[in-house]
Amino acid sequence: MTKVPVTILTGFLGAGKTTLLNRILTEQHGQRIAVIENEFGEIGIDHELVVQTDEEIFEMNNGCICCTVRGDLIRILGRLMKRKDKFDRVLVETTGLADPGPVVQTFFMDDDMKEQFFVDAIVTVVDAKHILLHLDDSDEALEQVAFADVLLLNKCDLVDTAALDTLERRLRGINALAKIYRTTNSDIALDKVLHVGGFNLDHAMELDPQFLEVEETPEPDHHDHECTEECDHEHGHHHHHHHDESVGSVGIEAEGDVDGRKLNAWLSELVRTQGQDIFRTKGVFAIAGNPDRIIFQGVHMLIDGANGGPWGDRKRVNKLVFIGRHLDRAALNAGFRGCLV
Amino acid sequence: MEIQKLIEAAASEHVLGLSWSHDGARLAVTPSEGPILVLDRDGKIAAELPDHGLGNGAAVFHPFEPKLATCGTDGRIRLYENLCAPPRPPREITLGKGWLERLAWSLDGAHLATALGRRLLILDEAGEITHEFDAHKSSVCDFAWNPRQPEEIASVADGGATMWRLGEEAPFARFDWGGASLLACWSPDGRWLVTGDQTPSVHLYDFTRDYPLHIQGYETKVKALAFNSASRKLATGGGRLVTVWNCTGKTGPEGTIPKQLEGHTGDSVALAYRRGSDWLASGGTDGRLIVFEPESSTRPRASLALDAGVTCVAWHPSEPLLAAGTESGAVELVAVT
Repeated sequence: MTKVPVTILTGFLGAGKTTLLNRILTEQHGQRIAVIENEFGEIGIDHELVVQTDEEIFEMNNGCICCTVRGDLIRILGRLMKRKDKFDRVLVETTGLADPGPVVQTFFMDDDMKEQFFVDAIVTVVDAKHILLHLDDSDEALEQVAFADVLLLNKCDLVDTAALDTLERRLRGINALAKIYRTTNSDIALDKVLHVGGFNLDHAMELDPQFLEVEETPEPDHHDHECTEECDHEHGHHHHHHHDESVGSVGIEAEGDVDGRKLNAWLSELVRTQGQDIFRTKGVFAIAGNPDRIIFQGVHMLIDGANGGPWGDRKRVNKLVFIGRHLDRAALNAGFRGCLV
Repeated sequence: MEIQKLIEAAASEHVLGLSWSHDGARLAVTPSEGPILVLDRDGKIAAELPDHGLGNGAAVFHPFEPKLATCGTDGRIRLYENLCAPPRPPREITLGKGWLERLAWSLDGAHLATALGRRLLILDEAGEITHEFDAHKSSVCDFAWNPRQPEEIASVADGGATMWRLGEEAPFARFDWGGASLLACWSPDGRWLVTGDQTPSVHLYDFTRDYPLHIQGYETKVKALAFNSASRKLATGGGRLVTVWNCTGKTGPEGTIPKQLEGHTGDSVALAYRRGSDWLASGGTDGRLIVFEPESSTRPRASLALDAGVTCVAWHPSEPLLAAGTESGAVELVAVT
């Protein structure tokens, strides 16, 4: 059965999600797209399949965040897939305050959804003018950035280049893997948002080494934020916005071979104990005695691996990126290096 | 035992449901899209009823009269009177913006239940809304009338079930657990209310003891539930094995080992016991229509390979006839002898 790709569109209210959605629906791409939008959306397209829904979370296993799925998606997509006149793609728009985790997990955790769909990408639209305020105040905004495969830095016409550069560094500090595009009016070539392959294991091998150069989450004093007496954070050389500094990326690159059993044990223990805080993981490994690359990706506790074909003449270099909250860079590095032979 | 193909009819699409009229003279066929068909006993199309826009939900016959209710994603219910004669224009009730996916007549035929989002709506025979139960935290996935108390209905939304009594605004009982429930089914004697869950499990509530049971260990989500008419056996489907639990005795299935029926190579997704017998029909995604006799064997007594996955099964109310719908829109009527 050919699986249907799913694009998850997130972003804070007013960031430009609906503009992008309208652009996707009206452009001549020849695809029949089913849109699942949150109940309060205002899509005025009537020739496409637009279904409005409440975002309903199914909690399981005592509310474990890694096991929550979207019940409304299971129900609606399950029903739509029974139609003969099926669709080429699904676009799920979330509310501005949604955590993307349950949406993604729906397509990994539910057997029926897993059988019929695959997540192509999480696209997060960011309002370049106001996102800093949201990043300081909102866990959801941070998570939407952290989960993204594609970040659309939108409304760039309202912000000068220097501020955009600063913002981009800040976003890169949170999410070292996402592709970032600067846009105005969400104007972007659709193949940049519709054919991303963000969860495609083949693409996990394409970790861009420059992403791994991000050593530290930028300090919050990069913010476009003028402190006042009302600010509740500590004033001084180091600002501590507790939301911001807790979410970031850790990249690890190490030449040589790893012990497959040690790596498996370390990763399993890591996602078991810290999976709730690890939003996304991607990696390429050189396993001792194995001529092929082993590629890996994960969302929270859900991990997936595959054979990525032979290393050939390439240098056997392991690459691993974590995006999450409260990541301990030193411990992750030490843990991984402990798997090297 | 033998299965003999009698008639094949074609609906436009994936068959969502089948419903026999009370006297077995008509069979309503609900495809996911396109006209809802009413077949006669010989499989001929007696009526083609208009669809419900983007998709159909259900078509269910009244328990004592030749009345049919249909619903769908247009948020409408249509009530057809006397479908044994050429159908007259139905009474159409618009309930609002949203999908109506299920319908259920109360056992006395006085009320019709449906769900629109988080609301469980009860209509009278004329189509007037008489009760609205809206204290659900998420969409109502399923509901089932208490077979012994025609004024009581159970709804499932979130984890567990909520019990409502007509005439009372607040639920009179609630069975909560931390997950999500998708299906509801009563034993005919009203003792057991069973839910099929998002996790691979079922919950049973024993009304005689006010006691909940949680049965886990399934390989897949439980997608089909069926009690035999004696209320002694509960069949559950979802994976390749059909599991039959003994619901007799003081503690029911608690601490017992179920029978596991083999024969499917795909998931069993549709189950129905024949009234007054031990014949259990099972339809699978493997395209197999199987009849088991679980009391005497865990192997199929008879089976038939269909061209596409089976989506629903329904026994004729009195004769040994079985109707099955498939993913490709076929409707098979078979005799079981």
